[in-house]
Amino acid sequence: MINRRRFTRRLVYAAAGMMVPFSPVFVRPSPAAAQKPPELAVVSGPDYPALVREALRLIGGMERFVRPGKSVVVKPNIAWDRPPELAATTHPQVVGTVVELVLAAGAKQVTIFDHTCNEPRRCYVNSGMTELIETLRDRRVRLEHIDRRKFVRTSIPAGRSLREWEIYQDILTADCHINVPIAKHHGLSRLTLGLKNVMGAIGGNRGRLHHGLAQNLADLATVIKPTVTLIDATRILMDNGPQGGRLEDVRRTDTVIASADPVAADAVATTLFGLRPEDIETTVAAARMGLGEMDMSRITVREHRL
Amino acid sequence: MSTPVVPIQRYRWLRRARVVMQLGCLLLFLWLFSKTDYDGSDTIDYAVNLLFRIDPLLALCTMLAARAFILLMAPALVVVGLSLLFGRFFCGWICPLGSLLDGTQSLLKNSRSGHPTLFPSLAATILLAVLVAAALQLPLAGYVDPFSILVRALAQAVYPALHNLAEWFFTFTYQQAPPWVNALTEPLYAFLKAHVLPFQRKYFDLALLSMAVLLAIVSAEAVQRRFFCRNLCPLGALLGWFARLGVTGVAGGTEACGSCRLCSRICRMGAIDEQRHINPNSCILCMDCLVQCPRQVIGLQMQAPGRRGAGLSLSRRRFIGTVLLAGALPPVLGVRRLTAAPNPELIRPPGALAEDAFLQRCVRCAECIQVCIGNGLQPSLLEGGVEGLFAPRLVARTGYCEFNCTLCGQVCPTGAIRVLSLEEKHRSKIGHAWFDKDRCLPYAKGVPCIVCEEHCPTPDKAIRFREVVVVDDSGRDVPLHQPYIVDAFCIGCGICETKCPLPGRAAIFVTSDGEDRHPDRRLPANPGGSSSGYGGY
Repeated sequence: MINRRRFTRRLVYAAAGMMVPFSPVFVRPSPAAAQKPPELAVVSGPDYPALVREALRLIGGMERFVRPGKSVVVKPNIAWDRPPELAATTHPQVVGTVVELVLAAGAKQVTIFDHTCNEPRRCYVNSGMTELIETLRDRRVRLEHIDRRKFVRTSIPAGRSLREWEIYQDILTADCHINVPIAKHHGLSRLTLGLKNVMGAIGGNRGRLHHGLAQNLADLATVIKPTVTLIDATRILMDNGPQGGRLEDVRRTDTVIASADPVAADAVATTLFGLRPEDIETTVAAARMGLGEMDMSRITVREHRL
Repeated sequence: MSTPVVPIQRYRWLRRARVVMQLGCLLLFLWLFSKTDYDGSDTIDYAVNLLFRIDPLLALCTMLAARAFILLMAPALVVVGLSLLFGRFFCGWICPLGSLLDGTQSLLKNSRSGHPTLFPSLAATILLAVLVAAALQLPLAGYVDPFSILVRALAQAVYPALHNLAEWFFTFTYQQAPPWVNALTEPLYAFLKAHVLPFQRKYFDLALLSMAVLLAIVSAEAVQRRFFCRNLCPLGALLGWFARLGVTGVAGGTEACGSCRLCSRICRMGAIDEQRHINPNSCILCMDCLVQCPRQVIGLQMQAPGRRGAGLSLSRRRFIGTVLLAGALPPVLGVRRLTAAPNPELIRPPGALAEDAFLQRCVRCAECIQVCIGNGLQPSLLEGGVEGLFAPRLVARTGYCEFNCTLCGQVCPTGAIRVLSLEEKHRSKIGHAWFDKDRCLPYAKGVPCIVCEEHCPTPDKAIRFREVVVVDDSGRDVPLHQPYIVDAFCIGCGICETKCPLPGRAAIFVTSDGEDRHPDRRLPANPGGSSSGYGGY
């Protein structure tokens, strides 16, 4: 478990690291990674738990990312007071399977949270998360409501438009961060995918980030780096996002996408909407900062239909 | 005149029962208060508003003003019945405010014990005034009713302040204290958050005023024991009136019983006079005198109804004066400009009755304000006139009406806010959103934003945008989304105003224009627009 002492120590190390010019902390991707194309899995089929298992297996299995005894943050999108079928929130079966795999890999603790837009309890209950955690019945898993004390002002040294922001401590200190967004329409950024899902892990006046949203999200992505991004596209919201509310806007796509490269995951998910990765400014901004690969020809996609 | 009906041991037992009952009722009341909240279900399973539904004063005034029998308040008849049987026991055994005041005794000593009640006919005068006003459809009972005063102060000041205090303390320990302290404080904070404290920090207008009223009542204990109960409380006066009609009471002391006058000295209600006559109007059956009387001549007695002497303890002059004064209020209130031009900033909760009927029923109990999970409802000051003081209104800059929530109607004890089904709530228009295009970023500054569109909760969005190209202040062409409002879909929930990222005044704001409880305030119809919506959800 992360206690204050370890947290402080890490902050000090991180700060020290940032003072070293060209330290590996913010030179990404490393030359070695650049040569090796990112791996990505696209799995479709009607059995959602099986999709998640297969997608993670194809990119090396959960054991590749979660070591025994480590702390894990699973960050779904549970920002809205909507039931799962309206495709505004990550499907509880997808989140549940991720958590099961994380536990099976020997994680010491799994924390799930989101900084919601609607009333937090309503979001957690109606998205199905509360029930999910109750059925998991595992003391290592915690569905946590945002604790305002845990927002820490964090400097974003590589940021081009954001120099610092309040970020939820757990997502910075966890050994492993698994980003589990849902793919859906968004009025301003066109789509909300993995990179936009970090909005639920930050504090401050989040509305302000919408002025120059793409660059702001890319800046945040230099600090909040998911170990794995698993995009829930079992059903996607085609219009009236990010909140939806009409079944007419929901399309069943029965797909999940998994990758250790957050930009590649977003880029490939974009194609499900009939758009190209370049259409999404956030993806472009993040790729420009070297945070991942958006060129479809340079991503190793493993597709599988179950 | 009489000998004790039961031996003193039994009175001791009764007095202990009274204290236990007081404590139990106070705890039950506080528990119900803490349950006045969302609890993972769209409906509230407990009668959290019970206290207001057993209150005969509120029931009488509300029904008089609304000219209707309100079934929700029928439980008040039980208290009336019990008061006819057992006198003013309610004040001594049940009333949480009374118990609270008794509880402050050890803190607030007063030098006036044994003194007669300072204003013996004031409570009855207040009772008469609120009854007359209610009969003229001006309900004022909520301002003087003990439960309204208590819950208002708890909901708007004490409870959120408790949260504030806890958050401050545990933030301090979290950030400053060594790990071994946190090993103790963090589980404690988690427990308090789960079971005692409110879920989220809330902010209220009139927090100080609500608190000041309660504090004044508590401080008055330093002047005289149960100062509020005997000098001011109109509910107590009403129950006292039933007690006089009733059949049981405390009796015993006579001029011949001796000259110790212990009973009249210790009586917290000043119910025992120099002649040791015990006034059923004031006696709250606390059992103190029965236990302490050295000669044990005081006891409980049955009596034929109506044998307890004088009626309402008001002189004819005061009676007429009070009636005239209370009667003069409504016509004066009717000539204010507010009557002709309703305040557009007065947005009532969804399901609220038309304004007049709403105010006639609202007892200012703050239950809706307490339960509002979006911290949207605030007590009004003068936005709805003096008679609207403390009534709920939506102040959307700091909180909004949650789209799928119907709790305020569920906790309203009088039906001033109707219980809405979710479908009704989704269609219930409490107001309308407007843009301030001089402030709205995509209009005024050429800067992209549309946070309002993102949060707009109607399935067919009431806020949409046009894709335009504007010239920003440095002369560049900027492609932008400029938001606009679809009148047919906007329900006035106010989340757009709450979430507008501008500092200070929001660039989108809601007013009560177009609210559906007043058909004459409908917005002009858009001839080209569609008037139906809301998909299947």
